[in-house]
Amino acid sequence: MAAFLNIVTVGLLLGGIYGLVSMGLNVIFGVIRIVNFAQGELVMLGMYGAYMSWALLGMDPYLSVLIVVPGLFVLGMILQRFVLQPLQNEPFMQIFATFGLLMFFQNLVLGITGGTGYSVRSDIASEVIRIGPVNLTLSRLIVLATVIVVALGMNWFVKYTMPGKAVRAVTQDRRAARLMGINVEWVFMLTFGAGAALAGMAGVLLSPIYTLSPQIGSNFILAAFAVVVLGGLGSVWGAFIGGFVIGLVEAFSGYYFDPALKHAIWFLIFIAVLLVRPGGLFGIAGAEEMGLREQD
Amino acid sequence: MSKIEATELGGRRTTGKGDRHITSLATELLRIAGLAGLFAIALVVLRDDPFLLNILAYTCLFGGLATSWNIIGGFGGQFSLGHGVFFAAGAYTTANLYFHFGISPWLTLIPAVVVASAVALAVSWPTFRLKGPFFAIATLALNEVAFVLANYFDGLTGGPRGMMLPFRAGFENMVFTSKLPYAIIMIGFLLVTLVTAAIVLRSRLGYYLQAVRLDEDAARSVGIGVLRVKLMGMAVSAGLTGVGGSLFAMYIRYVDPPTLLSIQDVGVRFLLISLIGGVGTLYGPLAGALLIVPLEFQLRATLGSALPGGNLMVLGALLVIFALFMRKGLVGTVSDIWDRYGRRRDE
Repeated sequence: MAAFLNIVTVGLLLGGIYGLVSMGLNVIFGVIRIVNFAQGELVMLGMYGAYMSWALLGMDPYLSVLIVVPGLFVLGMILQRFVLQPLQNEPFMQIFATFGLLMFFQNLVLGITGGTGYSVRSDIASEVIRIGPVNLTLSRLIVLATVIVVALGMNWFVKYTMPGKAVRAVTQDRRAARLMGINVEWVFMLTFGAGAALAGMAGVLLSPIYTLSPQIGSNFILAAFAVVVLGGLGSVWGAFIGGFVIGLVEAFSGYYFDPALKHAIWFLIFIAVLLVRPGGLFGIAGAEEMGLREQD
Repeated sequence: MSKIEATELGGRRTTGKGDRHITSLATELLRIAGLAGLFAIALVVLRDDPFLLNILAYTCLFGGLATSWNIIGGFGGQFSLGHGVFFAAGAYTTANLYFHFGISPWLTLIPAVVVASAVALAVSWPTFRLKGPFFAIATLALNEVAFVLANYFDGLTGGPRGMMLPFRAGFENMVFTSKLPYAIIMIGFLLVTLVTAAIVLRSRLGYYLQAVRLDEDAARSVGIGVLRVKLMGMAVSAGLTGVGGSLFAMYIRYVDPPTLLSIQDVGVRFLLISLIGGVGTLYGPLAGALLIVPLEFQLRATLGSALPGGNLMVLGALLVIFALFMRKGLVGTVSDIWDRYGRRRDE
């Protein structure tokens, strides 16, 4: 029983991590209909941002959210404006461009750091809370709390604020939204900025948990894709729940089979979901084709 | 994607003056024979320079691999990021048969084709339900899974330590002391892929693949079995990629998961070379390889120690730049200029 409880806890905490990482990807996909292959690299940049704030300015990694999140927001806006906006109706070129960004950022960081692994220390992060037989690491608990807050916050934002309503209008029908006076390009820039900022926040919160390496983004992007496909493309709650499902699956398969095979197990789930519900468990049917439809 | 843009991808676009002339298969085969002549001259010139022969061998190998990728990726519009899996399938098939059973690598090319195509069919059947970026995601995931499995099943692959293939010089073992025979083999591979691609392009399969790329629903509505066509294109493409993997394994005589299944060094390389040369054109992938492979050797030589990953950084930047400004690649851009010049001459 204690083992079972521990596995469930580990799975849920891991699910929080995956959910947080996937949310930015899903926001960008849901609104702009761009699959951002470089999303994991944005998380990686967030982690290095936290490292730099810690090493150079002596800030607690958690405080560096104040620097990293706005920084990545601006970077995201720049990327959307100068790289992705010109490719708006070119899904194939978007794959090339975002993959090019992935390679560029990853190897840029590799070149600068020379491949040395860094780690960030935070006094808060290493605290462990015991509840009965279950040990909870505070750093992971913070991630879990954040993902819940972010999901609720985004839900509130798109439902009850004017900019949020504009985002929903653009998602539903770009042309009609434009006719209503919404600046679609501006909404896209803000959305990509927000997606990048979410990635940055994920990076900051994960920096005390993982050893930093330039390639770490690749681990996250696959998890994020699995989560997004499972939960539903473009559905925020889908990413939230999909994250927990993938986290639990990883925890259980790691315990009962072999942790080395977790990617293979994700992939099996991935394929199974694709066969049964290509739009994801919570997605709208046909969402997997939406990116290819003409919209302007 | 708008329809006009989509037709432009293939390089044969409809102008106000009707379709551009479509060359016959015989013309293409003649052109490929001309290329073979050029490569023969290159071999004679470079025969005593192992460094340049090595670059030539890699250029032809990756040119051939990109040409193979282009059959499903370019003609058929299915942007696979998972061709590294078929590459590795070929490489591991040859490595195992040669290492454990002493079978001549030449003979292992046949099982390599079969294994690579079979793997491709098995994994493509479910993933072909997805379109565009989602197909790319699924194939990317597939590559990662193959990486994990290759590390895990060390009986078949040697695991993370890899397999060192014994050096037993001799034609029957496809092991040579000089670089020249390897360069000839790689040129041969490139020519085989070009001829295959030309035949596919001018066959029913090729036209079906292009119809699927331009509009899948329209293709289905005129009675094309879309899934069947995609699977056939994928099988041809993966089979050739498997041969490339076998030849690569015998060239470097070492196989391990990072060499065969690195997404940035292998899987994306085919697609990148094709994009830079011209996706969906017959000679685009070769043009891309002629530019990219020597460039990368140069970058590695100059940046290698000072800036690790510098070569991949440049390639990443090139991907973005070509996607933004030269979508039709080198071949497409050149043929556009040709068209403009030709049109002016008509008037």
